Amino acid sequence: MTAVRPEEDRLATIGAVQRTPQRGATRPPAARTIIVTAVLALVAVYFLVPVYWVVVAASKSTEDLFTTNGFWFAGFQLFENVGQVFAFDDGIFVRWFFNSLLYAGGGALVATYLAAAGGYALAVYDFKGRDLVFGLILGGVLVPGTATALPLFLMFSNLGLTDSYLGVLLPSFVSPFGFFLCRIFAGAVVPASLVESARLDGAGELRIFHTFGLRMMVPALVTVFLFQFVGIWNNYLLPLIMLADEQLYPITVGLVNWRAQTDRLPEFYELTTAGVLVSVVPLVVLMVVLQRFWRGGLTEGSVKG
Amino acid sequence: MQTTRRGALGAALGAGAVVLSGCAAGAAGDSVNQRPLKPRADGPITLTYWAWLKDLQSVCDLWNAENPDVQVKAVWSGAGTNGGYTRMFGALAAGGGADIAQVEFQVLPSFLLQNGLVDLSRYGFREHLGDYREGDIARVSLGDGVFGVPQDTGPMGWFYRRDVLDAIGATPPATWPEWADLARAVKEANPTHRLEGFSINDPNVFTSLCMQAGAAWFTPDGDEWVVDLTGGPTRTVAEFMDTAFSEDLYDTALAPFSSGWTAAAAEGSIAAVTTGSWGDALVQSVGGTSGLWGVAPLPVWPDTGYASATLGGSTAAVLATSQHPAEAMDFIHWMTTDPRAIDAQIENCGIGWSPSPDYIGASRQEPSEFFGGQNYNEEVFVPAADAQNPDWAWSPIFIELNDALSAVFRERGAGGRPIVDALPAVQEQTLTIMREKGLRVRAGSAS
Amino acid sequence: MSAPAAPAARSTGARPAVSRRRPARADHAQRRAPWLLLAPFLVLFALTFVLPIVYAVGQSFTRVERQGLFGEDGITSRFAGLDNYERALGDPAFVDSIWRVLLFGVVQVPVMIVAVTILALLLESASAKWPAFFRAAYFAPYGIPGVIASILWSFLYLPGFSPIVAGLQALGFAPDFLGPQTVLWSIANIVTWSYAGYNMLIVIAQLKAIPGEVYEAAKVDGAGPFRLAWSVQLPLIRPALVLTTVFSIIGTLQLFAEPQVMRAVSPAIDVKYTPNFAAYSSAFSYNDYGVAAAQAVVIALAAFVLSFVFLRLVSRRDS
Repeated sequence: MTAVRPEEDRLATIGAVQRTPQRGATRPPAARTIIVTAVLALVAVYFLVPVYWVVVAASKSTEDLFTTNGFWFAGFQLFENVGQVFAFDDGIFVRWFFNSLLYAGGGALVATYLAAAGGYALAVYDFKGRDLVFGLILGGVLVPGTATALPLFLMFSNLGLTDSYLGVLLPSFVSPFGFFLCRIFAGAVVPASLVESARLDGAGELRIFHTFGLRMMVPALVTVFLFQFVGIWNNYLLPLIMLADEQLYPITVGLVNWRAQTDRLPEFYELTTAGVLVSVVPLVVLMVVLQRFWRGGLTEGSVKG
Repeated sequence: MQTTRRGALGAALGAGAVVLSGCAAGAAGDSVNQRPLKPRADGPITLTYWAWLKDLQSVCDLWNAENPDVQVKAVWSGAGTNGGYTRMFGALAAGGGADIAQVEFQVLPSFLLQNGLVDLSRYGFREHLGDYREGDIARVSLGDGVFGVPQDTGPMGWFYRRDVLDAIGATPPATWPEWADLARAVKEANPTHRLEGFSINDPNVFTSLCMQAGAAWFTPDGDEWVVDLTGGPTRTVAEFMDTAFSEDLYDTALAPFSSGWTAAAAEGSIAAVTTGSWGDALVQSVGGTSGLWGVAPLPVWPDTGYASATLGGSTAAVLATSQHPAEAMDFIHWMTTDPRAIDAQIENCGIGWSPSPDYIGASRQEPSEFFGGQNYNEEVFVPAADAQNPDWAWSPIFIELNDALSAVFRERGAGGRPIVDALPAVQEQTLTIMREKGLRVRAGSAS
Repeated sequence: MSAPAAPAARSTGARPAVSRRRPARADHAQRRAPWLLLAPFLVLFALTFVLPIVYAVGQSFTRVERQGLFGEDGITSRFAGLDNYERALGDPAFVDSIWRVLLFGVVQVPVMIVAVTILALLLESASAKWPAFFRAAYFAPYGIPGVIASILWSFLYLPGFSPIVAGLQALGFAPDFLGPQTVLWSIANIVTWSYAGYNMLIVIAQLKAIPGEVYEAAKVDGAGPFRLAWSVQLPLIRPALVLTTVFSIIGTLQLFAEPQVMRAVSPAIDVKYTPNFAAYSSAFSYNDYGVAAAQAVVIALAAFVLSFVFLRLVSRRDS
């Protein structure tokens, strides 16, 4: 579910047209403002309390975790716990973090480029088999990624691709939905006249794509990249079954492994809670910062459509 | 325990049946045990050891200090059926993974079915056989082949909070009916307290109690399995469990040794645990209860069975995908027989019952402070290790059966069908699963 | 905002492709170019989507036979016909898991979408103070991987550990977030917590896309905020809501990380709790790759059919 939902929701937003945002012109009564804001604040508590709890929990010893109020600090040792996260097992957590970055960053980058090239090709050229290709990839959009994870494992294990970076990266390079989005977007923003005049100037077909096509598709590419990045970063099932060597784990699989150790080693509570905190903070900050971008990419896509 | 026919593996096959062949689905390729031996490495190597023993690295480090060319790295792998085996099976199917793995006795046959283990006898393990108890070796052998090295044999006992029992004027139960009376008393004294927790997801205790009661669920006959999950002993245990469930004597939300259980045991709302000898280390991690625990022999069945049984218990096995089986075997032999290694495992890993007939561990020969000065190992577990059901054998579908039983207990826990009524269906299911694995099988008792 | 299939079709038709206009000058380079551009994608698509599914379908038609007690005297692969599908669909636990996730989807998704729509309308109404802050707060959990959110919430559900449980107990409640009747909804809460902010952002994008004139007209008619929301905003964002809803229901077919993590704290969750979990267990606990492949094929097929049927419905209504 995690991997797919964003993709599908993206479907919903294509074609969204950004016009003037509408907020009521007249001032609402003060009572209504208070009530509405109170409701929103209450909901904010729901979304933020677990995050707050992680901060508190990450600052405690295992013993305090079980014996003190979970919503208040006790025996503050946040920095020791975080230090422990980074130091444990020769800094394996840092390695997981960079693995996640590699899978998500590298995967999303390549996926975006490939989707752009393919979507552009379908939008700009008329050729035999175009509809077939589009139909095939639309089918790919409809088959959820996690449904293919197990078949991927079965096939990759015969190809010797499991338990390697490629085992996770190769599937991450493909985003049928990104392809779909790029196809629609390129159809909307790449003017035929420009392609024509570039040809008349003697530019090669691939060059036209790389110099004009890519540039004009940037808003869609940002969206494709972000979604693919978050999708891979959040992915759990694929790396879980693909990887045996914990040196290759992304953060998700690594942290679940730590969590499992609390069954036998209570001291792993400190590692797990602090590890969750350390992994959550950068992405939450990123989400909040990129929020604007996110909507920008979603809606700008169809301004000219 | 030293009795003959300790396990199916030993009894199952005649000589010459060692030859494993063919290719399992998933674990593709021919058997590792038919291929040429893998030579020892020329240069330094690092072996990976997947296990869920805590702090195992400290034991490996003792070895590493003296064996610079064969370094062993311990890597945590989720406990058994809670993730460890899925990871191992996945790695086997993919052709990678660790060199050495912690594999419980009851799961060895499942690994055999996947051609997943190296026959250590091909690398000369037979010369070490004298260092282990005969009965334990039988549990890891198939014909002349040896597929795992006993590390912890898991004889069972009964751990309890002395103070909680004292408070209601009780003593450890000698029989299971007495256990039920005690459980009622605990509940009566405080309706939110229970004598024990029970894991619906992991009904191993039920299986072990059936073993204790004298059941023989799986009996090899030639190359056919005879399955009997509906015999008298099994029904006795099932009826006992039905009573416990219908009177709400177990806390089924608290799986033994889970976080919630640990918290409950610390405050005394859980008073005891029926488990293997390895449970001592886990009981000792219940905070603030030093000196309050005691260990009693497993309660017995009034008219049937044996004094004890085994729960879990681990071997160290060499996975088929290992590139260095010979070196891995050297390490395992050292780990399971060298007194320093045994002591280090007891101290750091909470290893259960040492398989070495000569050495149970220095700390095990002395009274334990945590257990109120009781010399529980010699008192309880030495006799328990020798009072086992010799007819019991593990099947190659342990995990599947465990999940099927788990479904029965889940249904029972939700107020559904009595366990004893579900047994015939489980038997049928077991037969079907084994047939679907391509095995020959027949029912041993009328369902 | 409209359904995806429709704009796709429209833009294909509305804007003729470049080369179609000048077929005479479509030279070799122009004929080759689309395939050059497509090739890397198609190769990887084939490798990671098409072939695995073909492989899984093949695997789903095989079974093994073993000689000897442990297969030590030989193992052979056999054509199984539909045996594996029969076994997968004949396993009540697997069928239950499908019903379970559908129930989950039918309940959780509408609840989430309704909540999200209300939140978006409130945030976009003039009455809300600090909308940017609230938007960010609601969106933040989307950056937390589902599996880590599950670890986090599993702690918050755990008696003896969770301050929430302790607080409720102090108030005289006896909450059981992990029992057989409740744990599915505890998982639903995790999923809602993770995705509500994200869905809200989409609804807000739709709301912002409503042309200003529409509001002007409503104001001329004297519509208050509730009527505005009910009869202007909701109808205009409805297609997006329907689409998100049904896609999310299909998405629930894939639930895996949440139950897998929660199993550690909830005995009510078995290893076949969701279809994906069941397929995972068949493969890696039981080494039954034939049945696992059949289950994966069933899941993929179900998701495909559900989304396809839905897209058909939506595009038909649109036209």
